[in-house]
Amino acid sequence: MPAYAFRLIILLFIVSSTSFAQGFRVSGFVRSATDNQPLIGATVAVRELGTGTTTDARGFYSLNLPPGTHQLQATYIGFQPLTQTIQVNGSAQTINIGLQPLDNQLQEVVVEANSLQQKLTDNRMSVEQLTTREAKLLPALFGEVDLIKTLQLKPGVQSGGEGSSGLYVRGGGPDQNLVLLDDAVIYNPSHLFGFFSVFNPDAVRSVELYKGGFPAQFGGRLSSVLEVQQNEGNNEKIGVNGGIGLISSRLTIDGPIVKDKATFLVSGRRTYVDTFTRLINKLNEGKKDYNPIPDYYFYDFNARVNYKLSAKDELTLSGYYGRDFFTFNDAGFSFSFDWGNTMGALNWRHSFNTRLFVNTTLAATGYEYKINNKIDVFSFNLRSAVQDFTLKTDFEWLAHDKHTIQFGASGIKHNFTVGRLNFDSDDDRQNFSAGNDYTANEFGAYISDDYSLTTQLAVNYGLRLSGFNSDGKTYAALEPRVATRYTITPNTTVKASYAGMMQYIHLLANSGASLPTDIWFPSTTRVRPQRSQQVAAGVSHLFGNGKYLITNEVYYKWMHRQIDFRDGANLFVNDSLENEFLFGKGESYGNEIYLEKIKGRTTGWLGYTLSWTYRQFDEINDGRRFPTRYDRRHDLSLVVLHKVNERLHLTGAFVYGTGNAFSLPVARFAFQDVEGKEPGFVPIYTDRNSFRLDASHRLGLGVVWKLKPKRGEADLTFSAYNAYNRRNPYFVYFEQVKDEAEEETIGFRAKQVSLFPVIPSVTYNFKF
Amino acid sequence: MKRLLYLLPLFFIVGCNMEKEIEIVLPAHEPQLVVECYIEDGFPFEATVLESSSYFDYPAPPVVPSAQVYIMYRDQRVKLNYSPGYNSRTNRYFTHITTVRAQPIPGETYSLEVTDDKGRKVTGFTTILPKVPITNVEWRFNEKDKALLLTTFQDDPAMPNYYRYMTHGDTLKEGSLRDFTTSDELTNGKETTYGSGYDYEEGDTLIISLFHIEKQYYDFLRSVRDAQNANGNPFAQPARVKSSLQGGIGIFTNLAFDRDTVIIKK
Repeated sequence: MPAYAFRLIILLFIVSSTSFAQGFRVSGFVRSATDNQPLIGATVAVRELGTGTTTDARGFYSLNLPPGTHQLQATYIGFQPLTQTIQVNGSAQTINIGLQPLDNQLQEVVVEANSLQQKLTDNRMSVEQLTTREAKLLPALFGEVDLIKTLQLKPGVQSGGEGSSGLYVRGGGPDQNLVLLDDAVIYNPSHLFGFFSVFNPDAVRSVELYKGGFPAQFGGRLSSVLEVQQNEGNNEKIGVNGGIGLISSRLTIDGPIVKDKATFLVSGRRTYVDTFTRLINKLNEGKKDYNPIPDYYFYDFNARVNYKLSAKDELTLSGYYGRDFFTFNDAGFSFSFDWGNTMGALNWRHSFNTRLFVNTTLAATGYEYKINNKIDVFSFNLRSAVQDFTLKTDFEWLAHDKHTIQFGASGIKHNFTVGRLNFDSDDDRQNFSAGNDYTANEFGAYISDDYSLTTQLAVNYGLRLSGFNSDGKTYAALEPRVATRYTITPNTTVKASYAGMMQYIHLLANSGASLPTDIWFPSTTRVRPQRSQQVAAGVSHLFGNGKYLITNEVYYKWMHRQIDFRDGANLFVNDSLENEFLFGKGESYGNEIYLEKIKGRTTGWLGYTLSWTYRQFDEINDGRRFPTRYDRRHDLSLVVLHKVNERLHLTGAFVYGTGNAFSLPVARFAFQDVEGKEPGFVPIYTDRNSFRLDASHRLGLGVVWKLKPKRGEADLTFSAYNAYNRRNPYFVYFEQVKDEAEEETIGFRAKQVSLFPVIPSVTYNFKF
Repeated sequence: MKRLLYLLPLFFIVGCNMEKEIEIVLPAHEPQLVVECYIEDGFPFEATVLESSSYFDYPAPPVVPSAQVYIMYRDQRVKLNYSPGYNSRTNRYFTHITTVRAQPIPGETYSLEVTDDKGRKVTGFTTILPKVPITNVEWRFNEKDKALLLTTFQDDPAMPNYYRYMTHGDTLKEGSLRDFTTSDELTNGKETTYGSGYDYEEGDTLIISLFHIEKQYYDFLRSVRDAQNANGNPFAQPARVKSSLQGGIGIFTNLAFDRDTVIIKK
């Protein structure tokens, strides 16, 4: 960490601590009056005093007000504003606010949870927010609503490839995202090659993605923090909602356990392609030469219980369990491959008073894959896993109306099982095993201050101390974080941030896709932690009577001790994995423009990113830097949502992106091999990622038609993915051209493969 | 892992042709010498010396008539003459040959030197390995009357060993039914059995070959496989071929193998 940054932060803490003063605190929660769900980012203000704030992830707000009578107004998009008169008489008081939805017809027409005004004045920068409600309106691949893919439509966030739910944030890899579900880590947030994310949209309330300017409370990954919050459950009545789609169905039940005290939510989702493949197999049973189709399916369960112990204490128990299964059985032969995440988290929120809060989480989370193969008396089993036990506590101290102090600590015990192989035979002819187990301890402690120096200038500065111990080696580092906001005019702000980040665990992934066999590995004596620094600066301007917000951000990110692997590295069964690692550096820089509109019948956003991303390793590409696969010079997203009437909504999403960088062989040589082998050609690869696929562009169209069922609500969502049937390149390969007799090779040609043509889908959603 | 790739067709659901031919402009390629030379007990030294080509060039690999090829061993320097031909025993073409027959002894080192009139020079070394005998071949039938094949041998615990295992039908003139390379990293010193799927039927003739190979040959074969797989696999990283030669591409090694022929019977 640069010494000057450390000194600056210490100085800010000293200077700011002299200005703390006592105020009269008004605080409480803003919730939906219909189901008691917290409203995140709702604005609570006293207009005549020119003061206000927004609610946090719990729907909590806190204001410091002078004695007297005030008009306290709460607003939230999609809900009726509420103004109430309050008396501040010299003591702290709690005022909870319930907002009524504007109407019951497609109230989910909200592009962003937060108002543009709030985004303008938010001290944070480089943050993207989504609610499930907006994601549900947008056209989706196979009709499967996916919050992660909706996030990919934001500037600075890219997918790994067509249809992928991987997140590549500002030049970082998918392993550099800290993915949190109710404060617990999810290690592999995707199903099936990364085509679908693990987050069931019915169970999730909101998603927040930090691309930079990371608050000090977050650590452990270099490039982004993805915070996913599950729904709390309806406090008023038992509710059921779900959907029947092209490839999966989902069902969610929530409601009160004890009125105004405890709520629950359980949600499940499952694909059913295997139902049809099993039927096909059964119909062809007994046919000679028929090869059964393997089974594949995935499911996931989400659960959450909220329990209010008292006015000051609330417990939340959250859980997630998801699995993908791939199985194949035939006479004397069986193969199964399953993988998935398991998460359980107990969270205790306590209010000491109206100024001091603590949020403590005890979590267990894990990811594993297992391959079991049995043929006759021989069995082969391969398993890799990562398992964490986490205890963390976060304090929030509203020290003054100008200062909000956050501090806390966390400890994680990691258990890694890397490539645990067992090969066995019933007759004891063969019996051998391989693999390594590692344990590691990771800790962090931080303090930060959200300090409003003047009405125009605010700074959020903090310091995180992180450490890691494994393999007899201990690493520690200081990670400074600073973000500042200056309001030039009521409609224009400028922001800047710096964040130093450390990453102590590493993903062993040797491909461009998110594969279930990717596994995590700790820092050890020979594998040092990854480190990054990011600076960002931006300007936001609100115009058109508050209907439009345009933001421009530039960023530069340095990445140190990046990890890649030797050519031909064996990452599956290898007791000397560390020999396969290569260490290098990376950099990423770019400019993001974001124009959004959230009011009116037509809403949406336009995002454009101009960026460069490189890596450099001594032993790759002859030591020269090379672009990463996801280095994307131009990335454009246009999202439009139009409300035709109370029952009909039309949506469209257009994306354009420079083609992925990729490697092609530039030459070949003939290889005859030994007796008994067909001669062939061997490709010669030279520069890494020196070719570009053609640009990708795609239009998605959606129609949401609200039905009028006798009970509850229902809608039909029609979606057309890749509406104009663009053949976007997925990869390119070279093939031999044979003569008519298919015997002699007469030439070579390049072929481009696309993945998805136009894919229409329909989903029936219901709620009662 | 590869089985997962079978899932990809799930996504080609509309039955559209999702492939098309495109034009790619490749950068200029400086041809390199490509040498393939195997020392086999009892057979004359022969080598194939060719050049690499730009990918879209004419398919026939360019020969290098000016190449001078020498094999050195036991203080001898044997010249292989340029005389392109076809070896019907190995089913391979060669460009250079001599009448001197190899009589390698395990532990000996042979070296190769290739030069040409463009000033290019390729060198390589190989250490003769002993053959590892196949100790048992057996098969087992399942209820569908399909048989799996088991091949057993004893690994030498005294040294790291690398193997290439191949099975063929009733002739070596056609491609192999099974071909893989492996090391004894997990089975050092153990009696080792290689299996197969239920791929065979009663009456099938199988030729089983167990090659005891050098690490440089093991690395070369795996890198060749990786390079070939990377062309057409969107998930693979591009891999450079790990040549066993200095100054060029290719392999110089010795072939020490045991071979058995069986007929599957109930």
